[in-house]
Amino acid sequence: MRCVNCPVRMNPSEMPSIAETGTIIGSPKATPDNYAPIIPPVPFEDPPPVVIDGEEALRQIEHLRSDDVSLRISAARKLTTISAALGPDRTREELLPFLSDGVDDEDEVLESIAASLGELIPFVGSTPKKNYGSSLLGPLELLLAVEENAVREKAAESAIKVANSLGDEEYRVQFVGMIGRLANKEWFTARIAGCGLIPVAFGRMGAELQSTHIQYFANLCRDEAPMVRRIASRNLGSLIYAVAESMGLSSIAENGPISTTLLDLLEVLAGGDQPDSVRLHTTENCVCFGNAMTLLRGKNASDQSIMDQNEEFITTRSTALVKRILPLIVATIDDRSWRVRWTAASKFASVVQAFSPFKGTMDALVPAYEKLLQDPEAEVRTSAALNLAEVAKTDSKVYPAGLITEDVMDCSEDDSGSQERRVSVAERLAQRVMALTEDDSENVRAALAMVATELAPLLGKDVTITHLLPPMLLLLRDSTSEVRLNIISSLSLLTDVIGDELLSQSLFPAILELAEDGKWRIRMAVIERMPLLAKQLGKDFFNDKLLELCVGWLGDDISSIREAAAKNLKELTSLLGSEWAIQHLLPRVKAMMENPSYLRRMNAVQGIVYMATAMDINNAQLEALPILLEMACDTVPNVRFNVAKGLGIVGPLFNQFVYESQIIPILALLKDDPDRDVRYFASQASDSLRNVFDREL
Amino acid sequence: MSSSSFEDEPSVASTSQTSDATTTPTLHSSAPPLPAVTTSSSNVGSGDAMAASSSSSSSSSLDSQIERLKRCEYLKENEVKNLCLRAREILVDEGNVQRVDAPVTICGDIHGQFYDLVELFKVGGECPDKNYLFLGDFVDRGYYSVETFLLLLALKVRYPDRITLIRGNHESRQITQVYGFYDECLRKYGSVNVWRYCTEIFDYLSLSAIIEDKIFTVHGGLSPSINTLDQIRVIDRKQEVPHDGAMCDLMWSDPEEIDGWGLSPRGAGYLFGGDVVAMFNERNDLDLIARAHQLVMEGYRSMFNDALVTVWSAPNYCYRCGNVASILELDENLGKSFKIFDAAPNEARGVPVKNPPPDYFL
Repeated sequence: MRCVNCPVRMNPSEMPSIAETGTIIGSPKATPDNYAPIIPPVPFEDPPPVVIDGEEALRQIEHLRSDDVSLRISAARKLTTISAALGPDRTREELLPFLSDGVDDEDEVLESIAASLGELIPFVGSTPKKNYGSSLLGPLELLLAVEENAVREKAAESAIKVANSLGDEEYRVQFVGMIGRLANKEWFTARIAGCGLIPVAFGRMGAELQSTHIQYFANLCRDEAPMVRRIASRNLGSLIYAVAESMGLSSIAENGPISTTLLDLLEVLAGGDQPDSVRLHTTENCVCFGNAMTLLRGKNASDQSIMDQNEEFITTRSTALVKRILPLIVATIDDRSWRVRWTAASKFASVVQAFSPFKGTMDALVPAYEKLLQDPEAEVRTSAALNLAEVAKTDSKVYPAGLITEDVMDCSEDDSGSQERRVSVAERLAQRVMALTEDDSENVRAALAMVATELAPLLGKDVTITHLLPPMLLLLRDSTSEVRLNIISSLSLLTDVIGDELLSQSLFPAILELAEDGKWRIRMAVIERMPLLAKQLGKDFFNDKLLELCVGWLGDDISSIREAAAKNLKELTSLLGSEWAIQHLLPRVKAMMENPSYLRRMNAVQGIVYMATAMDINNAQLEALPILLEMACDTVPNVRFNVAKGLGIVGPLFNQFVYESQIIPILALLKDDPDRDVRYFASQASDSLRNVFDREL
Repeated sequence: MSSSSFEDEPSVASTSQTSDATTTPTLHSSAPPLPAVTTSSSNVGSGDAMAASSSSSSSSSLDSQIERLKRCEYLKENEVKNLCLRAREILVDEGNVQRVDAPVTICGDIHGQFYDLVELFKVGGECPDKNYLFLGDFVDRGYYSVETFLLLLALKVRYPDRITLIRGNHESRQITQVYGFYDECLRKYGSVNVWRYCTEIFDYLSLSAIIEDKIFTVHGGLSPSINTLDQIRVIDRKQEVPHDGAMCDLMWSDPEEIDGWGLSPRGAGYLFGGDVVAMFNERNDLDLIARAHQLVMEGYRSMFNDALVTVWSAPNYCYRCGNVASILELDENLGKSFKIFDAAPNEARGVPVKNPPPDYFL
């Protein structure tokens, strides 16, 4: 049995595991929210006053030794209770050694222990001279080496928590010492844990240990076990960032660790002789590198005094380094493994973002991206298409397509002549959109339909009309309903730029077709978009064309559609006003009240209730409420108890007089109904209304 | 309401009572909080008010159980036990030919396809807003027999007048040990207790239902030893499904284009022809027999000049048959309309949590 709550398992494709990634680009580790910390882990403070329940603690200790796995798990989650009862000395001298003995237990027990250990910091005691927090690292070190990944992740989280509570000296001796041992252990799982922790601890370990640990990490990147190289590869980016953050400009000097060691490692791990699961992380690592360079620039800019002399240094060095990185990125586009290409495609927006500050990089990156859009695998193209708008948002310029194919790796300053010929990335990519609308895969077209309109604001009116509008009109007539749905949902960006006159003619047939789609989920999606469309297209267009549809859905075959249609009445009422609703919607709903089928009458009741909540008070009282009250005498109990539920909802809108003179009598009637469910819902409604109105008095 | 003392779910109505108990200083902090009922008896004088509050507390805890079941979370063992106890009190009072009022929606086999049951409710409307009649075979074959049956049973206990459950041939100790429900209980609970509670309840499920005296519904079909509804009414149904006889036939028989009766290839029940149906309907003043039990690729099938209809409600049966499913909506005037639906799309299904491959497997 595995822990199903563990968020890491929910998304195996992304696999953002904490033990392996360490930190998300230098940000402090967030507490996982799947278990609430019982005691906030505040270092150097007395344990918060917990009522020490001796019996409970004894029971939990008993459970820790139990034969029943589930008891051991629940006890392992309550280590704080146990150590609160034992006191700090016995926790260190008895509980922690006991826990260290049992690392061959079931994975789930170990996972709970690993998580709990991080909560124990306040319970192991601290004196002004000595903080015993590091005693927790003993059992954690063992857990960091076990085979099960989930256990190591929890242990890493806890170890980081513990380390953050330690003073500098102990941090170096105990925590960094532990990492060093892990990184050199014989069994590969320990080395994997080491890969994750080195970038985390790098900033606080001091110059001497830093160079040792870069060397350790270099060894891990060249480890003979491919699974270690995989995790090392996954963490290399974080390490580059941590090194840049901690060592500043010296890290990118010609003899700095980034230039000498880390970029070498990046090249080694991106090499074609590595398994694809190792190469997979190249893209992310390159992004981290780009971000690290941006960080160095930012740091420099904030320090005015030395800025000018360093500016040139940064530019020269980063340009030299980027020159080494770019071929690695471009190589992922042509990788033989589609997983590598897919990863590149899905992260390409971040790549572009990270490298746009470096002049000329777009001339290499944009053609690479265009190649991804034409990848042989549909999954890669879909993933690339989803990034279209984000890639286009960069403000760097690029040569128009076909103008230049050589020197793409040249990052040097451009002469002013070629600068003039350059266009925005959005403009270049807009010319690709037409080809994408003819893609064989509907997933690619659906992805395109979702994001392509975001290009419009970037392109401006004229270019949008010439380049973007024609493919958008094609998408509106696409053979797949998902594509049409996506384009309709994202049209507002296009109409904002070019107005809706050019579109409405093509739009209406597309909506009409979707509104009658055989798949009810498509119809549902169209209903949900109706209020938005009404807002975009205005009252007149809506009255002319869409009103009929909205009312028609109230009679749909599928119950969920009818309910969504009823709910939609509320949105429309608040959007287009009470008067409009009374004139256009109410007569239709009234007619449904007379329908021979209870299914329709139920929806009429729901619709009236929804509309009433969006109407102004007078109209709600004069127009909606009487209809609702009348339905209380329906022959079918389901209709009657929905009236009761509805009265509970709309009741609070009205004043005391209406409540007493109109609503109470009807609810009283329903409370005496022969059907027990009607009686139940009537008394529920009446109780909740009584609470509302009695409080007002 | 002895049942409310079993409740370990916090409930809206009972919190106001228990909060009195917790604010009172107690000497033994480790002692379990007193049950809500004992504290309220000292505070509340009126017996009527107490009965009302305890019934609403049990219905709100039931409501929260229903919410959990709708998310496909299965209940704890003692919750199942308690639910079955309460279900038994309701089912024991139902007849072998349970009377059902129109309007009602008739549903056929579900077979543990939980997410398709959720889809069914999306298509037909939620219970209690719509009334439902399920024709049996809730369990076996699909991945979620436990959740499926418990959701239906919890709805039955919560809204006895809004939903009717009758027994199918799979609601049986013997069949469930072969077709999956037994194994599923064992896997999900680590013991067979839940299977035992559920199969005990199976014995209490009604055998058939009659809607407005005009539409007879049963899981399988007719029996040569039964000519009138009264003959069904006198069966002692509280037993395991027998291997032969009237009770067995009602759950096992199938209609067939033959004259009279034939041997069933299933090894239990019979095949029966249009003349048998016509005679049965005539004798009992019926318009229609609605039954389930057979996979119909198009969701439903009418036979014998609309004297009998098969309703099948498990889309893409066994996750591979590729069939559509249907439900039969009857309005208050017995107007019929079939609603066809497909299996729930993948994104509406909880994808089973897959373990990532171990580190040494690249």
